[in-house]
Amino acid sequence: MSAPTQSAGFDTGPRGYLRYFLAAFRKRLLLLLRYPVNTISQFGTILLVFFVVFYGGRAVAPTAISDSIEGIIVGYLLWSMSITAYSGLSWGVTREAQWGTLEQLFMSPFGFGPVMVVKMVVNVLESFLWGALTLLVMMTVTGHWLAVDPLTVVPLGALALAPAVGIGFFFGGLAIRFKRIENAFQLMQFFFIGLIAAPVAQYPLMKWLPLAQGSQLLQTAMKDGVALWNLPAGELAVLVATAVGYLALGYAAFHYCQRWARREGVMGHY
Amino acid sequence: MSQATRRPSRSDTSSDGDPEAAGETVLAVDNLQKTYGDGDDAVHAVDGVSFAVDRGEVVGVLGPNGAGKTTTIKSILGLVVPTAGTVEIAGVNAADDARAVYQHVGAMLEGARNTYWRLTVAENLRFFAALGGRDPDVARDRHERLLEQFNLADKADEPVNDLSRGQKQKVSLAATLARGTDVVFLDEPTLGLDVEASVELRRELRRLADEEDITIVLSSHDMDVVESVCDRVVILADGQVIADDPVEDLVGVFETQAYRVTVEGQVPGGVRTQLTDSYHTENWDVLEDRTRFDVTLADGDTLHGVLDVLQAADRQLLDVDGLEPDLEDVFLDVTGTAPGSDADEGGDGE
Repeated sequence: MSAPTQSAGFDTGPRGYLRYFLAAFRKRLLLLLRYPVNTISQFGTILLVFFVVFYGGRAVAPTAISDSIEGIIVGYLLWSMSITAYSGLSWGVTREAQWGTLEQLFMSPFGFGPVMVVKMVVNVLESFLWGALTLLVMMTVTGHWLAVDPLTVVPLGALALAPAVGIGFFFGGLAIRFKRIENAFQLMQFFFIGLIAAPVAQYPLMKWLPLAQGSQLLQTAMKDGVALWNLPAGELAVLVATAVGYLALGYAAFHYCQRWARREGVMGHY
Repeated sequence: MSQATRRPSRSDTSSDGDPEAAGETVLAVDNLQKTYGDGDDAVHAVDGVSFAVDRGEVVGVLGPNGAGKTTTIKSILGLVVPTAGTVEIAGVNAADDARAVYQHVGAMLEGARNTYWRLTVAENLRFFAALGGRDPDVARDRHERLLEQFNLADKADEPVNDLSRGQKQKVSLAATLARGTDVVFLDEPTLGLDVEASVELRRELRRLADEEDITIVLSSHDMDVVESVCDRVVILADGQVIADDPVEDLVGVFETQAYRVTVEGQVPGGVRTQLTDSYHTENWDVLEDRTRFDVTLADGDTLHGVLDVLQAADRQLLDVDGLEPDLEDVFLDVTGTAPGSDADEGGDGE
C-alpha cells in the first residue's frame, strides 16, 4: 500500500482551498452549536452591554438618548461586529498557540497566510451573524426601525469592518511573536469606540482613521436610507482605500511577525 | 544538495509499490544551522547537522536535553527559520517552496495538543485532512481505518477532551496521518503514555512504515521506543550529529546501564585507579565517612565486576542506585568515538 500523497481528492488549488474554507466554517459552526451556553453567553454579553447603554442612558438622559438612538444602534452594531472580527484573530492566534494547533495551521500546503485569511473570513461571517441578530433585537427593543437594504449594508459593513480585521491581524502577529498581550487586546476594544464615534463631519481628516469612515457611511445609509450607489463616490473611495490599506498593513505586519517569531524560534510558544 | 532541484518522489509516480522508490532519499538535511543571538552570547542550537532519510525508513533522532533535537526538527519543518543549511523533502527545497513541502510532510510536536479538544475525533480528522488539501469525504475510508488501527473507532464521535491521555496522543497521531503525507515527524510521541499505550503506538508506527511506506522521523528520550521502532538512529549532542548508524549497530546503547554506587569510608587510590581503568566512572565524591561515584556499564551484568573490586578491597557497599544513562556518555562508551575524532575519549569500560 502506498502513501496516499497526490491521490484522489488531493487538491491545493482553488477547489481544495474552498474545501478547507468549508471545513473551517463547519468547525466554527459545530463549536457554536455544541457549546450553546458559550454561544448564548457570547451573544448575551453583546446584548447586555447594549441594554446597559440604552436603558441606563434613557434613565439618566432620556432626551439625549432618544435623539441619538439611531446613531447609537448603528455605532453599537459596528462596534460589536468589529470586536467579533478583531478578537477572532488576535485571541484566536493566542488560543491556537496554546492548543498547539497554530503550528499545524502553519504546515498547511495552502500556506499560513491563506489559512489565516480563511480564519478571518469565518470570523467576519460570524460577526455578520451576530450583527444581524443584535440589530434585530436593538430595533425591536428601541422601536426604531432602520433602513436595512442588504445590497447596501452588507458591502458597507464588510468594508467598514476591514480595518478592524487589519488590526486583528496586527495583534495576531504580535501575539505570535510576543505571546502574552491580552491587556493590549482589551484596550483596543475601547479604542474602537473612539474610532467609531470619531467626529468625522467636524474633522474631515479623521475619516482616514480605521473604522471612522465606515461608521460614518453606515450611519448615512441606515439612518437616512441612502443606497450604496447614491453615496458620494469620493467618500466611498476613502472607505475602500482605508479598508484595503489597513487590511493590507495588518496582514503585512502579521506576516512580518510570524517570520520574526520563526527566526527567534518562538512560533508555537505561549 | 542543489537548490530547488526536484527529484522524482513517490508522489510523482503513478504506480503503487514502485520498486525504484526503495532506497530513494525522501529527506535530505545538509549543514543545517540555527544560532540564536550573536557575538559572545550566540547560542548554536543546531550546528551543522546533515543526514538523509530514505522512503519508508524510520529514523530516531536522539540526544540529551538541549542537544538540539526539537530545534533541528522544527528547522526542518520551517517552524524555525534556520541560520544556514538546506532541507529537501521529496526533492523540493524547503526554503524555495514551503507549500510544496507541506504536501509531503506532517508533524506531531512535543508537548502540544496538536488537535482541537472540543471537536470529536472524527471531526478533527476531517478538519486536518482538509487543512492538508484532501477531500475529507474521499478520505473517509482511510480515516475509519486509522481509527480502527488506533483502537479509536468507538470513540470517533466523542470530543477529544473526554478521552484519556493515551487516546488523545493517538488522536494527535491519527490527525497528523489524516493529512495523508508520506513523511511524518513525531516529537516525543510516547511521552506521558503508559506502558501499554506506548507499546501499542510503537507497533502502529512500525506498521505504518512497513505496510504504508510512510517515512517516520521521531525524536525520543525513550530508548525502548527507539530500539523497537527505528531502523536507524541519528544521535545529536551540542547541536551536532555524533552518530548516524543502523539501530542494530547501536545495540550496546540500549543495554547500557548507569549506577550511583556508595561505599563506606574512602576508596584507596589503587582501587580507584583499578575501577577507572576498567570501567567508565565519574563524579567521584569523597565524603567524611563514605565515597560515592557513578559508573556507566555496557550492560547491567557488568556491575558485579565493579562490586567484586570493591569487595576485594574490603569496602562495604552502602547503596546502589540506578541512573538514567547520559546519552552522550553512553554513545561514547559504546563506540569509543567522539565528534570529529577517532580518539578513544571516554571509552574506559570498553
